[in-house]
Amino acid sequence: MSRFRNALLGLVLTALLVPGLVRGQERTVVSKEVSVGRSETALRLEFSDGEELEIALRDGSVLIDGSEVGSYSAGDALEAAWRSLLGGAVALDDGPLSAMLRDWSPPQELDGTDRELAGRIDATLEEALSARAAPDAPDAPSVSLSLGESDGALVRALIGHLGRLTTLEEALEGVDSKIQLHVDEDVTVGAGETLDGNLVVVQGDVRVEGTVTGNVVVVDGSLELPEGGRILGDVRLADAELDRAGGTIEGELIDVAELSSNVETDLRERLRNELREELRSEIRSSVGGRDSSWGLFSPVRGVFRGVAGLLENIIAVVILGLVGMGIVAFAPENLEAVAETARRTPGRAAMVGLAGSFLLIPVWILGAVALAVSIVGIPVMIAWLPLFPLAALAAALLGYVSVARNTGEWLADSGYRYTDWIRKSNPVYTVVGGLVGLMAAFMLANLLSIVPFFGFFRGLLNFVGVMLTIVAIQIGFGAVLLTRAGRRPEYRGNRDFDEAWARAVDVDMDVDADSADAPSEASTDA
Amino acid sequence: MRSTPTWALLLCGAVLCAPVALSAQSWRTVTMSRQRSGEQDLRVHVTYGAGRFKVRSVDGGLLYRMQLRYDEDVFEPRVDFEGSSLHLGVENVGKSIRMGKNQGGEMDLVLARDLPMDLDLEFGAVRADVDLGGISMTGLHLKTGASESVVDITEPNSSSMRRASFEVGAADFTARNLGNLNARSVEVNAGVGEIELWFTGSWSQDASVDLTMGLGSLELVFPEGLGVRLTKDSFLTSVDTEGLVKRGDAYYSLDWEDAERKVTIDLNAAFGSVDVRWVR
Repeated sequence: MSRFRNALLGLVLTALLVPGLVRGQERTVVSKEVSVGRSETALRLEFSDGEELEIALRDGSVLIDGSEVGSYSAGDALEAAWRSLLGGAVALDDGPLSAMLRDWSPPQELDGTDRELAGRIDATLEEALSARAAPDAPDAPSVSLSLGESDGALVRALIGHLGRLTTLEEALEGVDSKIQLHVDEDVTVGAGETLDGNLVVVQGDVRVEGTVTGNVVVVDGSLELPEGGRILGDVRLADAELDRAGGTIEGELIDVAELSSNVETDLRERLRNELREELRSEIRSSVGGRDSSWGLFSPVRGVFRGVAGLLENIIAVVILGLVGMGIVAFAPENLEAVAETARRTPGRAAMVGLAGSFLLIPVWILGAVALAVSIVGIPVMIAWLPLFPLAALAAALLGYVSVARNTGEWLADSGYRYTDWIRKSNPVYTVVGGLVGLMAAFMLANLLSIVPFFGFFRGLLNFVGVMLTIVAIQIGFGAVLLTRAGRRPEYRGNRDFDEAWARAVDVDMDVDADSADAPSEASTDA
Repeated sequence: MRSTPTWALLLCGAVLCAPVALSAQSWRTVTMSRQRSGEQDLRVHVTYGAGRFKVRSVDGGLLYRMQLRYDEDVFEPRVDFEGSSLHLGVENVGKSIRMGKNQGGEMDLVLARDLPMDLDLEFGAVRADVDLGGISMTGLHLKTGASESVVDITEPNSSSMRRASFEVGAADFTARNLGNLNARSVEVNAGVGEIELWFTGSWSQDASVDLTMGLGSLELVFPEGLGVRLTKDSFLTSVDTEGLVKRGDAYYSLDWEDAERKVTIDLNAAFGSVDVRWVR
């Protein structure tokens, strides 16, 4: 019985040493692919030894492993026969598939070149599916196995503890040429003897008095190396002891258990370092994120912050200006209607805008719910979820640009020295001028942040800027809602004809009819 | 003539889309299979975009068999098998854009019975019929998009799993015999749609269930005899707790104390309805 167990162990060890030997004696199909398309009908097989076979009728060509062996016409007898074969192969696997393909023979109705091609396919299938001997690998290791006579305790130990097999596998890593394997027996290489190749001993003692040209692997045993003993390769010990009494090892001495433990230690150390680095960077970022205004470089930081803020403002003006130019170019009437409404009824527009802002999220959610209750509505809801916020954003932009246009016009009329460049006749100028005007508070705040000790004013200006922006957005958004994005200009409110006249002639008149010297107080601004 | 740009846009769109919509789809049918070859366990990842999707288990020495019908101009099958990892599916080859893409496409997948598998199923706009009975699952993650899916575990899972998770997008989703999953924890995260969860099947261990529901209706079906404890955190959601009694913050089935197997459900729902139903 112990003999049987040792034989079993020997097989396991041989399998570890020579994986190539235990595979591939049978030509079985491990993977199949049948592909049927408009211009291709193909069969791909993968065999247990890793080889593959592809036979395809593709675009008028008959291909075997990618090489063209003939041609066919779409719908001809050859293609019909091949499709019929693959139709049967679809539902089969493994043995029945192999048998079916091997037994296939060209149908009788084929003739001429079709028959010849079908015959070639048949022969290819038969050859590929027939069991063949494993080819002689030129570099395959030769293994001689020798088993001891003990009671099989080792078998129990090894099979009962997979860790031993793992150790053995590690010990044998890279040992892949000529191997002499001894299980459960002692080995002696006598003085003057030379053992050509590698020596592997499992649960046995080894004494090397002569020479071993390869590596010596000892698992669960001991290695004695007296004077004169010589090992030209490495010595690998797994759960084994070395008694080196003057002998030489020309390769390396490797303790596999220690190696495994070193790998484990390295891994643990690496993980620890990575964690430490992670923590450090977290701490660094959290500390670095704080704004310590009293630091050594705080004045310089203020300059950077101010310049960066100004740049941000300029970029915002440029982007919004481009949006405004787009609106002026493509929807001038809508812009006009919204801007007029915002100008004439700013209070009403602001209230509508505020109410609209509050209702945005409920409308969005309720719309989604209403659409979600039916399967048909679900695809619409999928569009609703992203498009509604986008529409709201577009409305807010249109409104803001409209208010900017009004602001620009006001600035142009104001006669300030720095607003001369705003030409009222050109809406692009008025929009851009208005945007600069609406953001002026932010820009000033950023300019002030360059100068130390103006923190309070900076905060105040930022607050004014935020309030101005909110009011502008609310008025603009409300005007957009009232005019249905500028499509209903009647919501501009009642016309003030006096003002329209004044705007038309660009004249501001203030006439007090009751005043005795009225004519002399009439002022005219050309 | 205010609407001229709109018409022009529509016309351009129609002109651009016409050849795409009118071109015929080119269908290809592919059957791929692989034999088992000593696998001890397997991580299986299946991805499928649109069409009909079926999963079953199979006896014998087959590791998997996948039958695909797809538009060869738009998709190509993908099979990656390496050691203990298997990835199956179709992927877009991006040759052209087609309206309705893989409508009419099919994936019929059979997987080996009794081979321990960590199963990851991910599908988009599909009509899915997934029968996981007989598949030995050590883990399950199922993710759907806008689909109509039925997942049934018709036989008890021979392996035990720590967690089964279902991520459901905008979908009609039904899961039956959840007890057969043999999972310690089940997680269902549903976005929008109608969700039906049947806690039938053979419960071999107590389990906790974490349910999160966005919009829509959720129906929980329990077999009589199963101990159920339900806690809920809901917003604008009607919850019908038929057959459950409230004690403290939780709802309990009438035989909670005596039940052989107990399921603890933590429900988090917003905008919709939750109904409880009991079956024999």
